[in-house]
Amino acid sequence: MGCFFSKKPRRKSPEKDSVLPAGDESATGSDLPETNNTALGSNSNQEAPKQYSWDKREKVDPKDFMLTGLKNETVGRLPGKLNGQQFVIQDCENCNIYVFDHSATITIDDCVNCRIVLGPVKGSVFFRDCKEIKCVVACQQFRTRDCKKMDIFLCCATQPIIESSTGMKFGCFQYYYPELAFHFKDAGLSIFNNNWSNIHDFTPVSGETNWSLLPEDASVLEHVPLPDSESEFKSVRISTEASRSIVPLTKGGRRKESEESCLFVFFAGDYTTANARKLIDEATSKDMVLIQTKEVSMRPEDVNRVFQNSAEGLTEWITKGSVVALELNGDGVVEACRAMADEMFNGTKVFVSESKSTSSHDVDNFFNFADMQMGL
Amino acid sequence: MGLLSILRKLKSAPDQEVRILLLGLDNGGKTTLLKQLASEDISHITPTQGFNIKSVQSQGFKLNVWDIGGQRKIRPYWRNYFENTDVLIYVIDSADRKRFEETGQELSELLDEEKLNGVPVLIFANKQDLLTAAPASEIAEGLNLHTIRDRMWQIQSCSALTGEGVQDGMNWLCKNVTAKKK
Repeated sequence: MGCFFSKKPRRKSPEKDSVLPAGDESATGSDLPETNNTALGSNSNQEAPKQYSWDKREKVDPKDFMLTGLKNETVGRLPGKLNGQQFVIQDCENCNIYVFDHSATITIDDCVNCRIVLGPVKGSVFFRDCKEIKCVVACQQFRTRDCKKMDIFLCCATQPIIESSTGMKFGCFQYYYPELAFHFKDAGLSIFNNNWSNIHDFTPVSGETNWSLLPEDASVLEHVPLPDSESEFKSVRISTEASRSIVPLTKGGRRKESEESCLFVFFAGDYTTANARKLIDEATSKDMVLIQTKEVSMRPEDVNRVFQNSAEGLTEWITKGSVVALELNGDGVVEACRAMADEMFNGTKVFVSESKSTSSHDVDNFFNFADMQMGL
Repeated sequence: MGLLSILRKLKSAPDQEVRILLLGLDNGGKTTLLKQLASEDISHITPTQGFNIKSVQSQGFKLNVWDIGGQRKIRPYWRNYFENTDVLIYVIDSADRKRFEETGQELSELLDEEKLNGVPVLIFANKQDLLTAAPASEIAEGLNLHTIRDRMWQIQSCSALTGEGVQDGMNWLCKNVTAKKK
């Protein structure tokens, strides 16, 4: 390896230089005679080259974490088989691909006519040069480039982006299998942070839209079928029912039906997630609509700005951990929420909008704050 | 005149400011690196639509780091940021083998830019925490770094996510900034 890097003529022994010790992870080159520049890890100094954790770890076969060149197959990974590693999918055609585990990052290249489920991804999911894909994806970042005709049921912690892509349609993540909730935790993703409906297009075309939202009643199953009952995935108890989805279904950017919204905030505690789900179930059974949710940490100085007149006494509660906030919508929603808070959450610390006249301010204040908090 | 302001005047020359340009393909880890340098939370980072700037103190320098979005569509805008750059940091996703050629191409074009003549370049072979990551040596070879003759350069493997290797790269940077600025 050493022979590739420029060496100074004053080096004593060319043979010695031609083999750098294993683990040399940095190298320097310079031919500028006026600077004294010794290549790190060269044999001319006594120090052993620096070893990093990736030099010491057990080597694995990258092929075990890749799906390449498959056609007409049902493939993927069962829970526990990926365990947070990277995954690569490329050159697949007419496949049903199920990744039922959490991963570090996934790239999908040159795939055509595939149906794909990607369990929670800690980093980014990046589709390149793909077309006719229907997928269910949960990730921190969602990116596409040079893609065509994709339907995506998405849970994304940040703003999804597309580039040079057309015919992209987005809906809210809707999926369940028993380990999925744990996989979300393992990937560091909150089920309440889902920006599925506000897409940034790096290559907008005047007069056209490269992306749109899927119809609200789109059926996940019709887009991404269950795995074949004879496949290795038959043991995974999947449900695509709305009520069972690990990620609460949100209306997102779709047009609201009522002018009345309500902010409902749960403060940190042992049962925050369960309580939020309980409220969502109860509210939706009363025909209230869940618009958006956020899980975010607040500092004492944020409390006054966000809750304003109702900030009294809340400061101590936000120091205990993240809050979970929901925006519910429907005629009479504020009254309904206040009643539910009394009936169901008597002993729990919550914030509910006081009245119809203040509730839209509450919603704006909170979600604007959350957006800023979660931006850079 | 207060004691503090007297002390300030007595202090030797103020921290030297260094202008750093942080470039690389989209999804390479530039913003994660920026946040890591600033010791900030890196668990929730959004794809960069324009650019991010941060000032970071390091080894007696004030580093002004410009992190520019790397999508193909907005790479033409990189040139708007070339002027007065003291050091170029180029970030490569070592685990995205499909795009090695593309990143090599972009780096090569940058090194041909007149406004970046002689500017030292630190190449971070990032994402070493990932399984399929190519080692820095392989990347250096593939990119023909050894043919760079007109400036100081260094390739450093790292994981911006965990921070490992980042400081080593920055140590080289700080050492070589002084040389250039002289």
